[in-house]
This record gives sequence, C-alpha cells and structure tokens, in this order.
Amino acid sequence: MRLTYDHVRAEGLVKLYGRTRALAGVDLELHPGVTVIEGPNGSGKSTLLQILALMARPTDGALRFGPHDARRHRHVLRRSIGVLAHASFLYPDLSGAENLRFFGGLAGVEDARVDTLRERFGIGRFGERPVRTYSRGQAQRVALARALLAQPRTLLLDEPSTGLDVAGVRRLREAIAHERDRGAIVVVITHDRAFAKALDATRVKLARGRRA
Amino acid sequence: MSGRRPPGLVRATLAIARKDLRIELRTKEVTLTTAFFAVLVVILSSLSFYLNKAMAARIAPGVLWVSLAFAGQVAVLRSWSRERDNDALRGLLASPIPRAAIYFGKLLSGLAVLVLVTLVVVPLVGLFFHLEFEQLGWISLLLLMGATGFVAAGTLFGALTVSGGAREVVLSLVVFPLVTPALLAGVVATRALMTGAPASEVLDWIGVLGAFDVIFLVAGGLLFDVLLTD
Repeated sequence: MRLTYDHVRAEGLVKLYGRTRALAGVDLELHPGVTVIEGPNGSGKSTLLQILALMARPTDGALRFGPHDARRHRHVLRRSIGVLAHASFLYPDLSGAENLRFFGGLAGVEDARVDTLRERFGIGRFGERPVRTYSRGQAQRVALARALLAQPRTLLLDEPSTGLDVAGVRRLREAIAHERDRGAIVVVITHDRAFAKALDATRVKLARGRRA
Repeated sequence: MSGRRPPGLVRATLAIARKDLRIELRTKEVTLTTAFFAVLVVILSSLSFYLNKAMAARIAPGVLWVSLAFAGQVAVLRSWSRERDNDALRGLLASPIPRAAIYFGKLLSGLAVLVLVTLVVVPLVGLFFHLEFEQLGWISLLLLMGATGFVAAGTLFGALTVSGGAREVVLSLVVFPLVTPALLAGVVATRALMTGAPASEVLDWIGVLGAFDVIFLVAGGLLFDVLLTD
C-alpha cells in the first residue's frame, strides 16, 4: 500500500523524556519545498525531526501526513520518509554499495535504483570499499543516497553539512534543490547560517521546545 | 516512490540475518570471541574439576551450559554493538519494515553463531572430560532449545544497550536471572542423559525449555517495537 499526501501537519506536539520537556506544544505545517528549522542547542529541533521521521512517538499532540494519521499508518508512511543525520546510519564493515543494496531491499527498491543513485552521487570505485575506510564526504554521499533510495515524499536532514568540505556542501545543496524541484517536502535542521541562507527556504525557529 | 513493495516480516528478517552473517563472515569477530571464551571455560573447568569418569558425567553438563550461556550473552552484546556504530540501528528503524523483523533477524544471526560455537564446544567437552555422548540427538535438541532461549532473551533486552542507553552490565543483571530456568532445565536434563537416564525422563525438562523459548519469542516479537521507540 502506498499513501500519498501533499503536506505534513503537526499539532501541539509534546515530548517528555522523564521530567525533561523536549517539546512543549509545537504546531507546524510543512509543504513541498525546503523548510529550515533553527534554534539553539536544546530547543527541541532533533526531537521534532525524530518525531517527523516516525522514529519517536510524541507524548501528546497529533501528526498527520496529508489525511493520514501517523499513529495509524506509521509503518507504511515510513517508506515515504528519507532521513539523513550527522551519523551515516551505515554499517562500517559493509561497503557503500552493500549498504545501499541492503537498505534498498528493506525499502523495496530495485537494485537499478541503487545504481542510479551511485552514478548521481559519484559513488564509484570507493563504493566497493568498507564504509569504515571512507572520508566524511564519501560517507555523506552514500548516506544521502541511502536517504533517497525510495524517492521519499518527505526528506529530513539533521545537520547535514557538518564536517563537509566546500565540494561536499555544494553537492548537498544541489541534492536538496533537486528534491525540492521534484516536489518533495524537505526539512533541514542546521546551525550553519550560510548553508541555510543559500537554501531559499521557509524558516521556522524553535526555542525551549516551542515555536519562537 | 519506486520499485516493489517493502518486504514483509519473513523477508525482512532474513535480510537482516543475512546482513549480520555477511559482516560476521568478513570480521569473524563474534564467532572468535565467543568460541575462544567458551573453549577457555571448558579447558579450565576440566583442569579444575575432573576427578573420574563418573564425576565427569555429572560436572560436564554444568560446564557445557555455563559456557554456552556466557558465549550467548557475549554474542548478543557484540551483535548489538555493531548497530551502535554510525547509529546504524536508526537506519533500520527508519526502514518501512515490521520492527519485529529486526528482533527476529538479530535473533537468527545470533543463534547461527551460537550453534557454530556449540559445534566446537560439545566435542571439546567430550574430549577433556573423557565422555561419550551416547544420546547425542537428545542432547543436541536440548542445546538447540537452550541456545534459542538465551539468544531470544538476550536479543530482546540487548536492544536497550543500543537504543535505551542501558549499560551492558545492566543487561547481564536482567538477562541472567531471566534465563536461569532454561539453564537449570538444560543442566538437569543433560546430566540425566549423560548418566544413562532414558530420554522419556527428560521430556518434562524439554517442555520447560520449549515454554521458555515460546514465551521469549512471542514477547520479543510483540514488545520489540515498544522497546525501540522513544
């Protein structure tokens, strides 16, 4: 089953970790295009991203992907979401190509899609080496390809430019622009102001778990 | 979105187990660590406790099961620690597969490693304790059921060492008391078989091991999603 939607709406999202209130009632509506979420450390950005990625459940509040309630359709909706974080989510002892085929298999995509992404992100011969031998830029390229395997409707990026050189940042910006032009809902969390400014994005500020 | 449907429980389970075994074949890290540990336990125990053949038949089952229980624990912990590298577990959690597939996949690969270690340890126990396994079929069944139980319980709670921030020592404190019934059933039944009791006398213990396995397999399948979701 595939679920389609053209926006994501969060209403009153609250997230508690014990006594710590990571989110204190966030309302947010995301549409196709790029949205940058900004805020100081501890403002709840990463928690919000975890909830949008359906990797964490809100303590309270509602999250809907178009008409689809995230609580009821988490499993199916996950296929429409791509996540890229600072950590690559890749197995160090597998090659980049093996990682992509493995995660592609779990997402239900054909190996041809893996080949397309390898070509698009220049994952050539180094893609046959174990991930543990990669530079930060090479790992990020494979991680980005992994996030895009299922051509996600929603792409969530958490500090994606950290540690990248100039060419890596440019490649990342191009990939984001490509996803935006494709009509994806792209959410970027970043502290990198120059990077955020270059994205031509809607901006959302968080402070102490709320919209600022 | 492109391609075919995401895999269901069985295909996703097999994909995750295959991935773990591929890494293991490449690194041999878990197999060597657990096998070395289990062999060391057998050799040191035989040097310390061997008196005569009659006593050996009573001591060897304890040595065998303790070495496998600890080896199982080490195997599960090492397997989960791989998911911690690069936050790879989050990649699995973000995939559109049933969460239970992660549990059963890790369980299957852990069990494969433990069975391999068992295949090394059993002949060594026979060698160092001067024993012949006359009812090897029944003993193998007991060991397989015990290994399944250890790995099922360890895999369930081992996930917390990756996603829940629990320390590995906490896992030991939780898992060992839980697997004690399986350990007791295994030791008592194996000792009975090694001292010449007919298989019909250990059927109740096999029932205990079977119940233990079913409880943890079902609990793992049902609770894993809850344990892994913040």
